[in-house]
Amino acid sequence: MTRITPDFAKELKQYGDDTALICFNCGTCVAVCPLISESFPRRLIRYIQIGARDRILENSNDLYKCLHCGLCTETCPRGADPGEVILSLKRFAVATWRKM
Amino acid sequence: MTDPKEKTEKAESGKSEKIGVYICYCGGNISDHVDVEKVRDEAEKMPGVAVARTNSFMCSDPGQELIIEDLKNGLIDRVVVASCAPSLHETTFRGAIARAGANPYIYDHANIREHVSWVLHGEKATFKAEKLVGAAVGKASLLQELDPIRVDARKHATVIGGGIAGLKAAKVLAERGIDVVLVEKSPYLGGNAARLDTIAPFGEKSAALISELAEDVLARDNITVMTHSKVIGFEGYVGNFDLTVQTTFADAADHEQAAGHYIPTVGVITESATEHIIETGAVILATGFKSYQPRHGEYGFGENSAVVTLPEFIKQMSEVDPSKTELEIGSRKIRSIAMIHCVGSRQIPGIHEEDEDGYLNEYCSRTCCSAILHAANQVKEIFPDTNVYDFYRDIRTYGRGQEELYDQAANNRVVFLRYSAEDSPVVTANDDGSDAPLKVTVKDGLTFNEEVEVAVDLVVLATGMEAASIPELVSMMKLPVGTDKFLQEIHPKLAPVEMAVSGVFLAGTAQAPMTIAEACNGAAAAAVKTASLLSKGHVELDPYVAEVDQNLCQGGGACIEACLADGALEMQDVKTAEGTVKKARVVPALCLGCGACAAVCPSRAIDLKGWSLKQYEAMVDMIVAED
Repeated sequence: MTRITPDFAKELKQYGDDTALICFNCGTCVAVCPLISESFPRRLIRYIQIGARDRILENSNDLYKCLHCGLCTETCPRGADPGEVILSLKRFAVATWRKM
Repeated sequence: MTDPKEKTEKAESGKSEKIGVYICYCGGNISDHVDVEKVRDEAEKMPGVAVARTNSFMCSDPGQELIIEDLKNGLIDRVVVASCAPSLHETTFRGAIARAGANPYIYDHANIREHVSWVLHGEKATFKAEKLVGAAVGKASLLQELDPIRVDARKHATVIGGGIAGLKAAKVLAERGIDVVLVEKSPYLGGNAARLDTIAPFGEKSAALISELAEDVLARDNITVMTHSKVIGFEGYVGNFDLTVQTTFADAADHEQAAGHYIPTVGVITESATEHIIETGAVILATGFKSYQPRHGEYGFGENSAVVTLPEFIKQMSEVDPSKTELEIGSRKIRSIAMIHCVGSRQIPGIHEEDEDGYLNEYCSRTCCSAILHAANQVKEIFPDTNVYDFYRDIRTYGRGQEELYDQAANNRVVFLRYSAEDSPVVTANDDGSDAPLKVTVKDGLTFNEEVEVAVDLVVLATGMEAASIPELVSMMKLPVGTDKFLQEIHPKLAPVEMAVSGVFLAGTAQAPMTIAEACNGAAAAAVKTASLLSKGHVELDPYVAEVDQNLCQGGGACIEACLADGALEMQDVKTAEGTVKKARVVPALCLGCGACAAVCPSRAIDLKGWSLKQYEAMVDMIVAED
């Protein structure tokens, strides 16, 4: 069971862009991502949308596979800037490391 | 009109020997599969055929000219065209015959495209085309000149229902010089639209819309508005309907409406109900919809006051003080709202609970996605700190300006969660210790089908539309009703506001769930259709109606029992040498031309004009004839 924490978006704001909620979950970013990783980066962006803080930390290893090639940001039809959101999540993960 | 007896004698006297047959290539559509010239050669040999011709497009001017020339030169007195479906060009060729100065009903049509060349190839196609042309020739040989039935029409229409569609229809009719009676059962004009605040997607005030329309309607001399009124009697036929309208003076419509009668908890009625007969030419049904009322316990509805329907929420939002920093409803702070789509719509057998009649609303109500996203945007734009969670099955913001509502909702940081019908969200009491009273749990399709839960202060159900309950009108006026319980048009595209009952039209959500804009479109269309029907002062009806041979009629009455249209057949007393006897008589304006009476008459005294038994026999003879 994942519980929605409504204020997570506010917490994340100090680490960078707050564009995750513009995403409409089409999965284009997953399709163009050169990494062979299931549902990356959409899964993490979805966790931001619903404020699933713990799920992000559980899956934070995925963040470090990202090559920052920028393809997802280039192709996102909503301009949700997934590449930048992943960077924000990295900062969040580092800041939260071992505080869990 | 000629005396029917004369015509019968003429038909019996012999068959036409001057039939013209015109066969169309349809530019290859037919001739690629049917040997059109062979069909022509065969047609020329058929009994009664004087002329047989072909053309690459019979519907073209040169094609029609062939028919006109032959008629004018006296070569032919009956016409058969073998081409596409009669729904496409029957009227075209009847028109050509009329332009040649002949009676347009001396015509029969053989469909050798849809029924032949589009479904058969080679010899089979040519064979069937010959048979169909033969049948048409057989029928044509017995065709008689007919005159359309002409009935006087009152330049007066009645609109039932004073919602936005009824108001719009009344206004458009009045503008076209038709006198209108608008019958509304409640004391008010405006209907369901009056219960809204701002209207999706552009945000106009419904109060302004309704007021503008209602003021216009009330100010017109040729519109009579009857509120507190309902139609309790319906008689007559197109152009000449008599409606009985009952006007009551008490709100409690289910009670006896006589002066002095005591209605429990209300009081004593001071004025008796009155009844009026409205003489009218056409009726527009604008009886509207009713908002779906969730079952007790459906998403917690009725069990917790924090679960409300969208119409209730719209009303609550219209009373909210926007200058406050937090959304407050009934002095309760609302920090998070769950909105659930498709409540009472798109129900699936085996998944959703049927009502007591075993019925489900399987249709999409079409307006709720836009309406609830409009409400969500309103909340987020006034109170950005209130979290809105939108639980949807599919988003169907389909019209102009509506997809933008969805975009806007995402930009306003509405959180979307997607559920499937078999795993609908579950609303329960919240137990996490926060002051949010409710918890919504869902298997979220957007989060890879993980179970997700959220605590909320309010649950808003996007309830759909159901057909208004008008069983009395339906049975009295014999109105066709669809499987979705809404009133049904003749054809969803080609006759979208017309009903099978001639002279009765449809406006607005009586027909199907639709937006206010669509309801107004439909209402305007129905009004213009009505005006064009009535404005000539008379109505012409197809002459294909039953006809009684008074010499053969035994007065047995089997036809009257079989008749599907009330009043189309009646018994009359006829004086004969043996005294007064009963014989059947047709009221042409009411006859549907279905032939049910002709099928049951033991003495074959009743027949259909233009579709007589003899004509059918001639058709069959031609089909089974050996070469």
